Amino acid sequence: MALKYCGSCNPLINLSQIGHDLLTAIEKEDDLVFVSPESTDINTLVILCGCARACGNLIETRARAKRSIVVAGETIDMTPVAEINISGTLTEKLRKVK
Amino acid sequence: MGMMRGDEYRDSLRRLKPEIYYLAEKIASVADHPAFMPHVNAAALTYDMARAPEFEELLTTTSHLDGKKINFFTHIHHSTHDLIRKVKALRALGQHTASCFARCVGHDAMNAIFSITYDIDQKNGTDYHPRFINLLREIQAKDLFLSGAMTDAKGDRRLSPSQQPDPDQYVHVVEKKKDGIVVRGAKTHITGAVNAHGHLVMPTTAMKEADTDFAVCFYVPVDAPGVIHVFGRQTNDDRKCSGCLIDQGNAEFGIVGGEALLVFEDVFVPWEHVFMCGEHDFAFELVERFATAHRQNYGGCKAGLSDVLIGAIYGLNETQGTAGAAHIKDKIVEMVHLAETLYCCSIACSCQGYQLPAGNFIADPLLANVTKLNVTRNVYEIARLAQDMAGGMLATLPSEADWRDSVVGKYVDKYLKTSAEVPAETRMRLLRLIEGMTCGTALVESMHGAGSPQAQKIMIMRRANLEHKKRLARNLAKIGE
Repeated sequence: MALKYCGSCNPLINLSQIGHDLLTAIEKEDDLVFVSPESTDINTLVILCGCARACGNLIETRARAKRSIVVAGETIDMTPVAEINISGTLTEKLRKVK
Repeated sequence: MGMMRGDEYRDSLRRLKPEIYYLAEKIASVADHPAFMPHVNAAALTYDMARAPEFEELLTTTSHLDGKKINFFTHIHHSTHDLIRKVKALRALGQHTASCFARCVGHDAMNAIFSITYDIDQKNGTDYHPRFINLLREIQAKDLFLSGAMTDAKGDRRLSPSQQPDPDQYVHVVEKKKDGIVVRGAKTHITGAVNAHGHLVMPTTAMKEADTDFAVCFYVPVDAPGVIHVFGRQTNDDRKCSGCLIDQGNAEFGIVGGEALLVFEDVFVPWEHVFMCGEHDFAFELVERFATAHRQNYGGCKAGLSDVLIGAIYGLNETQGTAGAAHIKDKIVEMVHLAETLYCCSIACSCQGYQLPAGNFIADPLLANVTKLNVTRNVYEIARLAQDMAGGMLATLPSEADWRDSVVGKYVDKYLKTSAEVPAETRMRLLRLIEGMTCGTALVESMHGAGSPQAQKIMIMRRANLEHKKRLARNLAKIGE
């Protein structure tokens, strides 16, 4: 899997913290490996965007992976998720798709 | 049926039989009464300009429902490009009417209801969204003009809807039947209500469980039994019926949208036209989405109106020989700066728009509210500068009747003339246009239309993300390391 940030111009959520928490959680998972978002072999791409505008959610970005999960402010794939629960919910989603 | 022309729109109004009162008179035909004709003309231009090749790109689009060409004011936004296009369309219409053309309100209501009905259905398994889609098909096919009716009478502002001694202060459900609901209450200052084909009615505030009966959203035709319109007065509205065209300033399109008190006296609404009935937990979200869509607009239409006002005051100064003065140029630049700032705001909140679960797009709520809050200030400053440059004649100009009078007309004409090549009539016409745009109801509309400044400040505060700003400051100040 890979992680791609929107650019973090004026985020409504703490993207750095969420990214850090997600990486920490994934390191404990046996079957999940982080790769560069520039990699050509991405199973799941998590696109972390600071607000609903979701600037990182581009067709060409999504095309790099077989599937993508989009965080946009306090939503994951358009479903509301409180900031404190975002990294945990992402980890659960990644476990299911691995 | 497809897209209407302006004359077809006027004829469509003549076929309806709405209950409308103005100055204690029951109005037979809004399309033919002088008090309403400017507002009808302004709305008619949204039909005629859509059919003009030079405006086609802004005012027509393709329906996402059936792929047919439709008027943009019946469209559901499916990209930020659509949001930007709306702002540009509003500016163009503002430039050609110098007034309110009223059609954006119902358009914004359509977009808000489209998305909220989807969300309610997803949570509760209801069928509001397909019901609304059915109505939308009819709106697009018939090119209907709907009002968006949100603001309730509100009664005692300290009390919630369910706490009001008179529950009618908020529109509410008084009876649920097998085939529909019966509603009672009133919506206040509803733009375009008298010359629309129907009304999209929405709740006006956040609701709690006790307010369930007040969480109601529906559509009614303008002439549904029990729907009563009481048209509001505007500054100098007597001039519309005086026969003096110059004194009106903008006789064709008026000075602002026509607003009405919209009363629902036990109105029956069939279930197929009910889009929220008791889902109090979605009331605030609907309010916020409608408010965002509508506040997004104001830097578009007001920039268009300001273009006309700037042209009028610059032209007036040319007639008076003062256009070259340094202080006049400086004030004109200031007006342009203020107007374009508003336009920047509307474009920005559109560019930063995003997709909702229903698939449609909404402007950035924070930036849309900033846009409208700026309108409550910049438009007043633009008007103040125009009045400054117009001189006192703006408030003391003799009437058109006296200018035409066989006894005193020659004096009015003689002493209103400036340079030899400019007729006094030119100066009179420009002054009256400026008067209409800066001295009354039009200004108040900039303050309270789409919600009063405090409503914008509440939403700005909710969206300000102060914790993030605090975190930025703490990091740089090296606090808590």
